[in-house]
Amino acid sequence: MQEKYLTDQTALLDFLKILSQEFRLFTPKIKESVPNKEDDYIYYQGVDPAGFRFNPYRVIDPVKTFFTPAVEKAAAYFNVQDSPGVPVKVALFGVKSCDLHALIFQDYVFLEGLAEDALYRQRRENTLIVSSDCADFKEVCFCLAMGVKPYPEKGFDLNLSVLNDGYIVSIGSSKGEEIINKHRHLFVSAKDSQLDGLRQKRENLCSRLNERLRSLNIPAYDSLQRLMHQGHDAETWKNFMRTCVECGGCNFICSTCHCFLLADRKDPSGELNKEKSWDACQYAAFSRVAGGANPLKTRAQRLRNRFLKKFDFFVTHMKMPACCGCGRCIEVCPGKIDIREVLKDLAL
Amino acid sequence: MKTLYTPIEAVLEDVIVETPTIKTFVLRPKEKFSFTTGQFIELTMPEIGEAPFTPSSDPNLKETIDVTIMNAGKMTSLLHQASKKISLGIRGPYGKGYPLEKFTGKDILIVGGGVGLAPLRSLLLSLFAQMHKYNRVVLRYGARSPDDIIYKQLLPKWKNVKGLDMMITVDKGNPAWAGHVGLVTTILNDLPLDMQKAVVIVCGPPIMMKFATLKLLEIGFKPEDIYLSMEKNMSCGLGKCGHCRIGPYYICKDGPVFTYEQLKDLHDIWD
Ligand SMILES: Cc1cc2nc3c(=O)[nH]c(=O)nc-3n(C[C@H](O)[C@H](O)[C@H](O)COP(=O)(O)OP(=O)(O)OC[C@H]3O[C@@H](n4cnc5c(N)ncnc54)[C@H](O)[C@@H]3O)c2cc1C
Ligand code: SF4
Ligand code: SF4
Ligand code: FES
Repeated sequence: MQEKYLTDQTALLDFLKILSQEFRLFTPKIKESVPNKEDDYIYYQGVDPAGFRFNPYRVIDPVKTFFTPAVEKAAAYFNVQDSPGVPVKVALFGVKSCDLHALIFQDYVFLEGLAEDALYRQRRENTLIVSSDCADFKEVCFCLAMGVKPYPEKGFDLNLSVLNDGYIVSIGSSKGEEIINKHRHLFVSAKDSQLDGLRQKRENLCSRLNERLRSLNIPAYDSLQRLMHQGHDAETWKNFMRTCVECGGCNFICSTCHCFLLADRKDPSGELNKEKSWDACQYAAFSRVAGGANPLKTRAQRLRNRFLKKFDFFVTHMKMPACCGCGRCIEVCPGKIDIREVLKDLAL
Repeated sequence: MKTLYTPIEAVLEDVIVETPTIKTFVLRPKEKFSFTTGQFIELTMPEIGEAPFTPSSDPNLKETIDVTIMNAGKMTSLLHQASKKISLGIRGPYGKGYPLEKFTGKDILIVGGGVGLAPLRSLLLSLFAQMHKYNRVVLRYGARSPDDIIYKQLLPKWKNVKGLDMMITVDKGNPAWAGHVGLVTTILNDLPLDMQKAVVIVCGPPIMMKFATLKLLEIGFKPEDIYLSMEKNMSCGLGKCGHCRIGPYYICKDGPVFTYEQLKDLHDIWD
């Protein structure tokens, strides 16, 4: 097993300062505190002036925004000069396990298949991911029900787990290892007793979350593809779509949704580009073709499409459902459509 | 930086009027560009947008590419108004195209409807280039009316192609029309084919493909010998944008040509 390190708040702040010379830093920050409501976190550029503290659970925006942004220039028109420019190096602090899991799917889409998306590759390579364990969960969290642990096991460069007054540091990549070696004076080796403490802490959170999830009765993640096949013509789709206002929020906020549309757009300088922007299968025109035919004509068909993509298509291709249990779609939906309830209803 | 979506400039060299709603656009790419028959391209009109089309020309022609396009919506209507010499963009080629190697020694039936004859022209020209490899080629083409038949200059010449058996029908005739009248499915009886070694390739509007497929199954074609050109809304053309999904496939990258065997258990394939 890879050696684990320990560091403390003072050394971590030094580490952040050092990193900020090379990277554009994004660290977690409370969005705004509303009494009697769970706090929401955002990625803040720099370090929160109120002091650095890890977010207990994920931030509002999915991590995909750093790699496949909502809108980006995807191509210039003819006579393209080969000046890639100097890519920005980014260090992201406080990415959670659910988001790391979701990146597997984004990577599959943009790095694998027929060709890789060079812009995505560039951003991926220029980003240092410093993840952290969840210390708590949101009301909508259901990662464990999708087979995702609330603490990162892979997919990060470095992972920091809060323990007492310090942090246990795990290395997840050669990029992460290099950085630790370079700044070795800020880290000491973690002791076995501390690792035991970490294990205990993780187990405690899992059993708390599991207890909460038991009451929700979400169907097992390895039964979902079967549910999709059995429930293709279920009333569920019609019943749940009633309150859908076709805002596309669930698609845009989803960690694994990747669909996009290319369009021609002039930038402020008048240069014509192909622009890639997120698209949503909940939009009525998503699959409309010339002449008016549309295989996803009704909201029920579109709701089903969102589920089929995650729980049928991706299970076929990647052997796991494309849902990380982050619960963002539940929070965002003005129609109060709850993915957990839909799955449960299909299983009835 | 060149990306996946950077178009190659292609000059619109000629526009051929086929029918009141269909024109063939002759494009001359400024960079080397080649495709195999049945693959498609994304054609861009700068500032307007882009859409997928299957070239209708012989893939062996290296200098120019023909695309035969029906005026169907935003970009295609503007394209129909475009004048020669303007710059368009192309990306691709995308998709798998027709598996010609599987057709060797076979009796090949080709069923087209409307503008669906466009990709089939490219296929036929590829077949004509090596007719000795195939046992027989049978073409059955249907158009709405005599005026809607495309390639009016070319089709009569094909009467002389050795090994080709051709028949055209129209849904609705006119006084000058001496040929067959009826849907394309009505000319799929008593085909001069050895069913033991026949394959069929279908391209046309979804409704025509549906009924043609049912008919073909009825006359004894096996699902794995029926090749269908599927059409869904597309944007990227290479399996990333998510628009063209059908079941476990993306039409753009796993197709656009599928056997009915691949599709038959999926929901709503004709919608
Ligand atoms: C693989 C493939 C090959 C095709 N080959 C031909 C051909 O050779 N000749 C021909 O006339 N037509 C062909 N089509 C159909 C052609 O792509 C549509 O007619 C065209 O997209 C209409 O564009 P529009 O902007 O005029 O229509 P609008 O209705 O304004 O559509 C806007 C956009 O939606 C998308 N879209 C709309 N309809 C379709 C569609 N049917 N398929 C895919 N995307 C669509 C396109 O991105 C289009 O630009 C093909 C379609 C596919 C999928
Ligand atoms: S879904 Fe799980 S991993 Fe994600 S924030 Fe909630 S508890 Fe953490
Ligand atoms: S967030 Fe809710 S209302 Fe909006 S598109 Fe999704 S399901 Fe419909
Ligand atoms: S057109 Fe983008 S996935 Fe097929």
